[in-house]
Amino acid sequence: MTLISPQAALIDQVTKEFPSGNDVIQVLHGISLGIDYGKMTMLVGPSGCGKTTVLSILSGTLSATSGTVTVMKKRLDRLKNDDLVRFRRRKIGFIFQQYNLIPTLNVAENAAIPLIADGVAWEDALNQSGRMLDHLGLGPHKAKYPRQLSGGQQQRVAIARALSHNPALVVCDEPTAALDAASGQAVMALLEEAADDPNRAVLVVTHDDRIFSFADRIVRMEDGRVIDDGLTQPLPPKGLRR
Amino acid sequence: MNDENELKLRSSLMVSFGTQPRSRSILGMVGIALKMLMGDPVKYFGLVFGIGFSTLLMSQQASIFVGLLTWGANPVLDVRQAQVWVMDPRVKQPDQGQAISDQSLYRVRSVDGVAWAVPYARSAATVKTMQGNIAAVTLVGVDNQSMVGLPEENLANSMSAIRGRNAAILDGNTQHLIWADGRDPIGQVVEINDNRVVVTGLTSSLTNFSGLPTLYMKYSDAIAITPPERNKLSFVLVEPKPGVTPEDLAERISEVTGLKALTRQQFAAAGTQFIIENTGIPISFGAAIGLGILVAVVITALTLAMFVAENLKNFGALKAIGVTNRQILVMVLSQALLVGFIGYGIGIGGTAAFLYFGQADPSLRGFKALGEIVGGSALLVMIIVLGSAYVSVRKVLKLDPAIVFRG
Ligand SMILES: Nc1ncnc2c1ncn2[C@@H]1O[C@H](COP(=O)(O)OP(=O)(O)OP(=O)(O)O)[C@@H](O)[C@H]1O
Ligand SMILES: [Mg+2]
Repeated sequence: MTLISPQAALIDQVTKEFPSGNDVIQVLHGISLGIDYGKMTMLVGPSGCGKTTVLSILSGTLSATSGTVTVMKKRLDRLKNDDLVRFRRRKIGFIFQQYNLIPTLNVAENAAIPLIADGVAWEDALNQSGRMLDHLGLGPHKAKYPRQLSGGQQQRVAIARALSHNPALVVCDEPTAALDAASGQAVMALLEEAADDPNRAVLVVTHDDRIFSFADRIVRMEDGRVIDDGLTQPLPPKGLRR
Repeated sequence: MNDENELKLRSSLMVSFGTQPRSRSILGMVGIALKMLMGDPVKYFGLVFGIGFSTLLMSQQASIFVGLLTWGANPVLDVRQAQVWVMDPRVKQPDQGQAISDQSLYRVRSVDGVAWAVPYARSAATVKTMQGNIAAVTLVGVDNQSMVGLPEENLANSMSAIRGRNAAILDGNTQHLIWADGRDPIGQVVEINDNRVVVTGLTSSLTNFSGLPTLYMKYSDAIAITPPERNKLSFVLVEPKPGVTPEDLAERISEVTGLKALTRQQFAAAGTQFIIENTGIPISFGAAIGLGILVAVVITALTLAMFVAENLKNFGALKAIGVTNRQILVMVLSQALLVGFIGYGIGIGGTAAFLYFGQADPSLRGFKALGEIVGGSALLVMIIVLGSAYVSVRKVLKLDPAIVFRG
C-alpha cells in the first residue's frame, strides 16, 4: 500500500486540545492525513477549522494531544525538543503568510539562515542560497533589504529560504493571502515547481480559491475533521475560472 | 575515562573548534545576531551611548572620589623619609595640629629602636604680599639640620634654599593662589604675623584637602613666627633602626611616651578615613555612581527588552525554521556583549581622556583611573548587559514557535 503512495508525512488519529480558562477546547478530533511526495497537497476549509493547527503539528512546531506524527519515517511525537528543532531545520522548509524575513538582513543572508543555523560556513551558505535566489529570479536583488522589495518578491525570498537547504517537506500557511493575484500566481508557480520533485512534498494551507488550480490534491476540513479528500482536481481548469 | 583518553578527547575538541558544524553554527548565528542589532541604529547607538555614558559617569566619578580621598592622606605621603608619626592622642588627621610638648621629641628619641626623630610643625597661617594681597597658607616647619618634612626625595638640594633666616620654600603648584598675576615667586617677600619671610625656592607638594598653598621653613623659623599661644611642635617624625619594623616601633613609642604613634601608612589611611567620615563626599559621589549604574540598568534593560519585543515575531520564525534556544540565547547575549564592549570602551576612554587632560588643572592633579575602578566598572557593565539580555531573552526562550503562524 505504501509502495503505491510513498508518504513524506503522516499524522494518525491526532487530536489537539487547547486550554481555555479552566476548560479545554478540542480543535482536532482524531485527524489522519498523509502527505505524498512529488505532490502539492492543499488543505482548505473555513476559518477556524484547524488547518494551521494541522500544519503546525505536521511540521513539528506544535505537539499533538494524542495520536502519532511521522515525518520521513521519524516519529516527531517521540523526539526530544532539541532533536525536533534540528529535524525541522534540516528536513522541513517553512513559508509564512507574513514572509517573516529579518528586516536588517539582506536578501541573500535571509535566504541562507537555515544553512547558517545548521553550521554551513557563511560563504558556502550564501553561495548555496544565492543559487536558489538566481533560480527564483531574485539574482539582481541579493544585496537588497526586504523593505526594498514588493510583497511578492519578499515571499519569493521566503521560498528561497524554505528551499535553500533542499528540504523533503515544505509547509506553507496562507502563502498568497497577503499578495495581489499576479504575485500570488507567481509564488504558486514556484511552489508547484518545487512540488514536482519526487523527493519532496509540499503542503499548502489556504482559503484563497484563486490558487486551488495549482493543487494536485485538495483536502477539505471542517470543524477539526477532514470532510473531503479529493485525490483528483475537484475544480475546473484555470482558464474556465475568474 | 583515564587521563590519556581524556587528554586526547580534549585536544581533538580544541583542534576541531571552529570547523565543527556545531560551533560554526553558533558563530554563524552570532553573525546574524550582530547584523540584526546593528541594522537597528537607533537601538544600537542608544545602547552603546547609554552604556558609554554610564561607564563614564561611574568610572570618572569613582576616580575623582578616590582622588579626593587621597588628598586627606597627601600631607603624610608628602613626607618621604620618616616611617613613624608621633602625635597628641586626640589627633585624627594630619591637618589637625594639636601641639605636644617640646620634651616629647627627646622622650621619643630615647625609645629603643629609634634611628632618628625630628620635629615637624604644621599650622594654618596667613600671608600678606607686598602687593597687599592676603592668602591663607599651611605653614610647615621642618627640621633645621635634616630638612625631613620637605616633599622631596633628595633633601640636600633644598638645604641651601632655606639656609638663611626667615627663608621659605613654596609649593609651586599652588603659588597662583598667592600671586594670581603669574609672577615669579622667587625673591618675593611676604609678611606672616608681622614677620618678613622671603621665598627662596619652589617645590612640588601633593594636593591636600584644604587646597591651600604650603610654605616650608626651617623649624626654628616657623615656630619663631608662630604666635606663642599657637601650636608649636605638632608631630615628631621617626625612622626605625634597621631591623625594627615601623609597626613595632610605633607600638613601643606609644607605650613609652603615652603619645599616639602611627606608621606612615596608618596615618595616611587615617587621613582618608577622616574625609570619609566627616564630609558629604562619599554620599555625593556614591549618588553619582549609583546614578551611573541606574542609567546603565534602565537604558540597557529597556532598550534590549524593546529590541527583543520588536523582533519577537522574527525570533519566532527563527525558532520554527530550526534555530535552537541555545542559539537564540547566544545570539542575544552576543548582542548585549557587543554593545557592552563598545559602550564600555567609549566610557572608560572618556574617563581616561578626562583624567589625562585634567592633569593640567591643579585640582585634578594626581587623579588616576585605578585598576580597581577600570576593572570594577567593566564587571558592572558586564553584569548589567548580560543580566538585561537574560531577562529579555527569557521571553523568546519560552516562545512557542507555532505563534509565527498566527496573525
Ligand atoms: N494557541 C491556541 N490557544 C487556544 N486556541 C487556539 C490556539 N491556536 C488555535 N486555537 C483555536 O483553534 C481553532 C483552530 O485554529 P487554526 O488556526 O488551526 O484555524 P485555521 O483553520 O488555520 O483558521 P484560519 O483560516 O482563520 O487561519 C480556532 O478556533 C482557534 O481559535
Ligand atoms: Mg490558519
